[in-house]
Amino acid sequence: MAIDVNVHPLLYKSIYSEDDFAFWEREFGMGHMGPMDYDEVFAELDYGGIEKSVLLPLDLTTTAGGWIATNEQVAGIVSDYPDRFVGFASVDPNRPDAPEVLECAFVELGARGLSLHPAKQRFWMTDACMEPLFELCQKYDRPMMVDAGLSWEPNAPTKYGHPLAIEEAIMTHPNVRVCLSHFAWPWVREMVMLMLKYPNCYTECSALYLDSPEESINRLFTQDMGSRWFQRSLLHQVMFGSNTPRFRAFKLIRAIDALGLPDYARETLLTANALEYLGGE
Amino acid sequence: MVVLKKLSYLTSEAAQLVKITDDVRREVEASGVSEGLVAVMSAHTTCGVIVNEGLPCVERDLQEMLERMVPLDAPYAHAHFLPSYGATGNNSQGHLKQTLVGNSCMFPVTGGRALLGGAQDVYLAEFDGPQRRTVYVEVMGE
Repeated sequence: MAIDVNVHPLLYKSIYSEDDFAFWEREFGMGHMGPMDYDEVFAELDYGGIEKSVLLPLDLTTTAGGWIATNEQVAGIVSDYPDRFVGFASVDPNRPDAPEVLECAFVELGARGLSLHPAKQRFWMTDACMEPLFELCQKYDRPMMVDAGLSWEPNAPTKYGHPLAIEEAIMTHPNVRVCLSHFAWPWVREMVMLMLKYPNCYTECSALYLDSPEESINRLFTQDMGSRWFQRSLLHQVMFGSNTPRFRAFKLIRAIDALGLPDYARETLLTANALEYLGGE
Repeated sequence: MVVLKKLSYLTSEAAQLVKITDDVRREVEASGVSEGLVAVMSAHTTCGVIVNEGLPCVERDLQEMLERMVPLDAPYAHAHFLPSYGATGNNSQGHLKQTLVGNSCMFPVTGGRALLGGAQDVYLAEFDGPQRRTVYVEVMGE
């Protein structure tokens, strides 16, 4: 079984609406896709052997005037299907009430982590407004998911998600687990460097832009990285993520299986590291 | 008279043959059409309609033939990020298999029933599942 740590639930029927979709289409950069009932969602998850998915909302209050799935919507999905989903919260760090919004999500909505998108939300991870958010994540032992590397969202300058722009924030908050998404592609080596230096730094493998899933994952694990780097040095810091709905999760797992990893490494990548990152079940 | 019905199926595998013969027969009999034609059409580009004998061995041979003709790991052009979708196109195998098998079939309707040959079954042919799929059944006649 696997845990998918990077899922955007935009197409889930309980939160999909034509009005919201027009906003998401513009701000998330997507189209031509329709809503999915939960039986269809679960059919795909079951086929891929995915036991749980981490749902990521995104607060764009000050940059775009809306949300790409709200904290309450994600909490509602988790409440309906607690065995299948883990919900994160998001907060726009530039809004004046950001700490209050985040603490409310942790305490009242049961959010298990914080989802941030520096490029789309237009902030640096080292900005002063981030300090209270780090303090709350440490206080409640909640990890961060930080969108890094290439982002397909429009109006999202990539410089904010460069691993080197995030390093100091990770370095100065060693007690907060921080995942930089998508292997921070194309800065894979910089991502590897951060993980070598900082044990609280994680990544996930939804980096699929130029080739088939098999070609992309093979290149990531054997060319962008040395073919033994994951097993030798990064075994406990790389997680499985799909970036759903941009990529289909079961095809990425199929591509990971094609790597021929030993069982212990496959299990660590697909499940154990996510449990550690999330702080348990 | 023309009667159009929309049927929905949730597939559970990436490649799967779902027998829909009884559903097609039922729609014809409920249509009120006594003499005419029935068309069965997939609403998709990676999911087709097949008519063949409903035996597991034939189903297996069909699937294996298609896999040999359109292998998963061929260097397809349709394997890259599609900005208009905001998603990666990585289902060329499904598109090509559907093109080979087609997306529709037709049968005569007589005496208020679909006239299928004794060995004929109708399949929804999933090539990029699991997904919810739509099949249109249109009965035309008098």
